[in-house]
Amino acid sequence: MSEIKESKKALFPMTKKERKLLFDPLNDNNPVTVQVLGICSALAVTSMLLPSIVMAIAVTFVVAFSNLAISLLRNYIPKQVRMIVQLVVIAFLVTIVELTLKAYSYPVYKQLSVFIGLIITNCIVMGRLEAFAMANKPWQSFLDGIGNGLGYGVILIIISFIRELFGRGTLLSGTPIEMKIIGASSDFWIDTTTNPYFGWYVNNNLMVLPAAALFIMGLIIWYQRSKNEKLIGIS
Amino acid sequence: MEDFLNVFIKSAFVENLVLSYFLGMCSYLAVSKSVKTAMGLGLAVIFVLGITVPINWLINHYLLSEGGLLGMDLTFLRFILFIAVIASMVQLVEMVIEKMSPALYNSLGIFLPLITVNCAILGASLFMISREYNFSESVAFGLGGGFGWFLAIIAIAAIREKLKYSNIPAPLRGLGIAFIITGLMGMAFMGLMGIDPAIFFSGK
Amino acid sequence: MNSSKYIIGFTALLTAFVALVLSLMYTGLKEKHKQNELLFEKRAVLGAIQDKVGKNIADLNDDEILQIFNTNIKQLVLNTKGDVLNPQEVEKKGYKGGKAENIDMKVEMKKPKDARLLPLYVYKGKDGKELYITRLFGKGLWDEISGYLALSSDKNTVVGASFDHKGETPGMGAEMKDNPKFSAQFKGKTIFDKDGKLVSINVRKGGAINKNHDVDAISGATLTSNGITNMLKSSLENYYQYLKK
Repeated sequence: MSEIKESKKALFPMTKKERKLLFDPLNDNNPVTVQVLGICSALAVTSMLLPSIVMAIAVTFVVAFSNLAISLLRNYIPKQVRMIVQLVVIAFLVTIVELTLKAYSYPVYKQLSVFIGLIITNCIVMGRLEAFAMANKPWQSFLDGIGNGLGYGVILIIISFIRELFGRGTLLSGTPIEMKIIGASSDFWIDTTTNPYFGWYVNNNLMVLPAAALFIMGLIIWYQRSKNEKLIGIS
Repeated sequence: MEDFLNVFIKSAFVENLVLSYFLGMCSYLAVSKSVKTAMGLGLAVIFVLGITVPINWLINHYLLSEGGLLGMDLTFLRFILFIAVIASMVQLVEMVIEKMSPALYNSLGIFLPLITVNCAILGASLFMISREYNFSESVAFGLGGGFGWFLAIIAIAAIREKLKYSNIPAPLRGLGIAFIITGLMGMAFMGLMGIDPAIFFSGK
Repeated sequence: MNSSKYIIGFTALLTAFVALVLSLMYTGLKEKHKQNELLFEKRAVLGAIQDKVGKNIADLNDDEILQIFNTNIKQLVLNTKGDVLNPQEVEKKGYKGGKAENIDMKVEMKKPKDARLLPLYVYKGKDGKELYITRLFGKGLWDEISGYLALSSDKNTVVGASFDHKGETPGMGAEMKDNPKFSAQFKGKTIFDKDGKLVSINVRKGGAINKNHDVDAISGATLTSNGITNMLKSSLENYYQYLKK
């Protein structure tokens, strides 16, 4: 009974299973730290917060909609060309993302460069299509896509938060035009180079190097698994 | 020839796809638990990269670019065509190996489908475009990039085999420590940064 | 198992749909893409003369950038002999539009020196003095680097500089673009010595020695710094005849 009441209150009524689809990937079944998917692009763009947020949105869009499309088509796709059909759908959505970014936020497009194209081979997308969308209904597949996109985004944002703050002494820095894409208006929250209270801080160059993303990721996994012991021993 | 060797060495050691650009990390981490399987995947990657980069070069040059056979700027179809070439090449290679050498197929077979979604493969084709290689350079880049990837996965697999006997905190075991070690390897490879292999061949 | 007819039909339909949607989108957005590319360069040009414009370029919106460009900037195309070419001549060489912003430096730098075309932007501020903004182009550690160097009306003293790169290492070589302190050093340097010889500006490791012609290198990025020195020298040599006039 209580569950029905709860779901009535919610903005989007969801069953327990659907909620699980949406929120499990944030921790227990995180695509990056548990399923070991989508690591390459996670590492490459995380030196700053803003491109990471854009990347997270782009990946969520692609996973959700390719899940939806494949789930709708799942009974019509010939088995022999399954992979190629999936890849064509993914590449189609990624090209849409690329064309849109290039038209409406050129500086961010320049910053992400080849890594937009690499969303195609982001194993999260392909992995969720194979593991979920090929066997489930469209609405559930869509939720699964959103959940996994968000789970990926959470990791990206944690890593880039640490790297930008300690490596550059800024947070969410970007010119106003770049900021427009995420709807923010101010330049940045903190800038240790101009803020009188943080003048003592010397930027840590290690954090800007790509290797730092790997170290932080290792530490995140360590922390997550020490809190959540049932994950120990996975791969 | 000089250019060929130059690009080969550069892409294999100095600008290693995994350790400098972190491409192909997913399968790199998932399949590096033993040296034997790592070797299988590594060889398959060399093979597929060596084929797809030149083919994609031809496609980009003769079909998609404005001066190509169709005379239109079709670069917006680049992603789709590249990934289609990669997927069909992988499938073709799989079939050929299955026919020619069932033994090799049994040891390699399961890795081949994995390669389609290895970012290093598509990444190499995209880098080949943005760096404007010519045809012979793109052959060298494909082979060299594959060789560098092979080296990196063998190295991490060998380290991980030894790590089994180390006393690492339980939550860090496996994936966690693999990340940190890859980070250390990446930093070591930074030491090669900026080496210009052309010096070795110029005879100076 | 599906029949091969079905497979071919399915793939053909899917491909046709995908190609159709993408080509519609591409043709629809093409103009905007072009415009964005040009605006990006315009920002970089104005970035070199930020102090003279008196506003933070990054804070300006697209219309304001275009406005400054249209009212205060004259776009010229030169050859290495120092002559200004008219737009028709430039269009004949394959650049539609015939303006400085249409010149592709990557193509030009591959040509023999005598055949190169050079973009030059001339800014006329409120005080009526003209500033000359030259285009820089070269190779860094990993990939190409580029920039704009603004000279004051004596065609010798540097007013400002802005840099860009394609793939330098973040935190090291990439500081050439990310750290405003680096480009700020160029202000007030001169490119000719007192005998009128072109010495350019050197990015020197271990700190500047000659206060007129040296700036400090980027720490940890010796090869990118050398790349910038070479880029400045080779690019300014192209403009030599014009600047001497």
